Amino acid sequence: MMHDRPKLVRAALAAAALWLLWASLFTVRETEFAFLTQFGRPVRSVAEAGLHFKWPVQNVTYFDRRLRIYNPRPSEFLTRDKKNIVVENYVAWRIDDPEKFVQSVGDAGAAELRLHDIIWSGLSAALGSQELDALVSPDPAAVRARQILDRLTEDSDRSALRQYGIRVVDVRIKRLNLPEQNKQSVYARMRAERERIARQYRAEGEEQALAIRADADRQREEILSAAYREAERTRGEGDAEATRVYGQAYARNPRLYRFLRTLESYKRVLDDKTTAILSSDSELLKVLMRGQSGAQ
Amino acid sequence: MSTLDLGAPEAAAPASPPPVPPPRGRRRRYAWWAAGLWLATGLYLVPSDQQAVVTRFGAVVEPRALPGLHLAWPWPIDRVYRLKVRQLQRLAAGGDPADPVLGRADASRSQFLTGDQNLIHVRAVVQYSVAAPAPYLFASEDVAAVIRSAVESELARCLSGRGVDAVLTTEKAAIQDEVRAGAQRLLNEYGAGVALASVNLESVLPPAEAAGAFREVASARADAARIVNEALGYASSVLPRARGEARQLLESAAAYKQRKINEAAGDAARFQQVAAEYAKAAEVTGERLYQEAMVEILPKIRKLIVDAQGSLDLTIIRRGEPAPAAAPPAP
Repeated sequence: MMHDRPKLVRAALAAAALWLLWASLFTVRETEFAFLTQFGRPVRSVAEAGLHFKWPVQNVTYFDRRLRIYNPRPSEFLTRDKKNIVVENYVAWRIDDPEKFVQSVGDAGAAELRLHDIIWSGLSAALGSQELDALVSPDPAAVRARQILDRLTEDSDRSALRQYGIRVVDVRIKRLNLPEQNKQSVYARMRAERERIARQYRAEGEEQALAIRADADRQREEILSAAYREAERTRGEGDAEATRVYGQAYARNPRLYRFLRTLESYKRVLDDKTTAILSSDSELLKVLMRGQSGAQ
Repeated sequence: MSTLDLGAPEAAAPASPPPVPPPRGRRRRYAWWAAGLWLATGLYLVPSDQQAVVTRFGAVVEPRALPGLHLAWPWPIDRVYRLKVRQLQRLAAGGDPADPVLGRADASRSQFLTGDQNLIHVRAVVQYSVAAPAPYLFASEDVAAVIRSAVESELARCLSGRGVDAVLTTEKAAIQDEVRAGAQRLLNEYGAGVALASVNLESVLPPAEAAGAFREVASARADAARIVNEALGYASSVLPRARGEARQLLESAAAYKQRKINEAAGDAARFQQVAAEYAKAAEVTGERLYQEAMVEILPKIRKLIVDAQGSLDLTIIRRGEPAPAAAPPAP
């Protein structure tokens, strides 16, 4: 066949063209940087995702540009007022400058070691210049952890960016704790504090209860005495009215009243313990002694 | 070279001679089919509970494709990531106090320092959903770790500004709100594309070493409430009783008053009656009244009758104790 030779050449040319196209195109995903090297020499980095061109002789290395969380091991720090505190923090970081990163650091593990050094020394200096109250205080306004950490983030970002091409997005404290050897005394203090509070609760309860009882007793006295006052006034009214009625009635015949009243009194006053010495001359016995003539 | 002729009309197909085994037209048809199928991979469906992100050569071209049927470039040019955006996802921050039997959890993982330097175990459960699909997919290496870190740091900050009593009792809801808002702010700063639906403090417990003392406080509080309730009970039993007694006093006084008035009226009426009759025969009536009274009185008492002229020997009074009531008068 006459066609065979040119067909082969054409196929080879097409394959070569395809390879050339393949070698000079590369894609960059949203999650990464592309870093181009030419015979090991850095050429440029590509931050924009999508399809890009390069010379076929250039190599592409990819770096994750996503935000990462690095959790350094909890470390103990000393505050200005000489108190130990265990701080567990996290660092949110990402690669910002792949060229610098690849030259000075290389991979994520090495980056975390470098970050640990920067942040440990920064935190140590920051906490060493603060009282413990700036981190832990019952008054929320006194806690300045956020300001301290914002400044620390800014400082470590600056130095990490300059040295390693790493952007420190945030440094935050995840946990504050006390050193193990201090905990027993803290527990003892907590127990003592709780006991004090328990006693206080009981005492306050009693205080309130006594006040309630006293108040009830006072009200009772008030009610009863007011009732007494009212009752006595009512009785007095009764007595006064009776007196008025008696007076009106008896004033018409005081002699008869005195006589009747006296007789009535005798009936009550004189009883079997009474001994009466009666003169034979008395009104009652005159008749006994003298008969009819005594009645005159 | 056959593929280069794809665009040519198919008119020649039936005219080709029979000895050529695969006819040109059929090959072309296969090629059309293959091309059609390949293009069809660009069709994608987003279910109603999801949203999708489309990337072209790795770059986001459609950050939020809503439910429905969509068309994109075929594979491998475009890629479609579907996400259940509305579904709430959970994760735990902090943790339970160490289980002394199994010894599994590390106690310090969930231990936080409160503002008054008490240690406390807090476990929070976070519920979150996707706010922006593209950042959610591409902005962070491990979204869950980012969320957990943000929530734990806000939790630590909130707890370090409050006393342990506030944390255990009154401030729980406030802490939840504050942590949620603070962590959301951090996540927005990080561009994580996450919306926190809620942060719940699931368990807030004092450390085992001081748990007894904390229970004691709770029982002291209960005791105080009980004592106060007893006092309130006393008050509510004493006061009605006192009011009852007061009522009784008033009623008996009113009764006394009425009795006195009635008695006086009765006595007065009786006296007036008697006086009216007495006036008609004063001498006789007086004598009768006197005699009647004497008859009533004298039988009850001891009597000594002495002569009006005789002298009186007073010793008889004392001697007469057991003696008969009446002794003969001295002559």
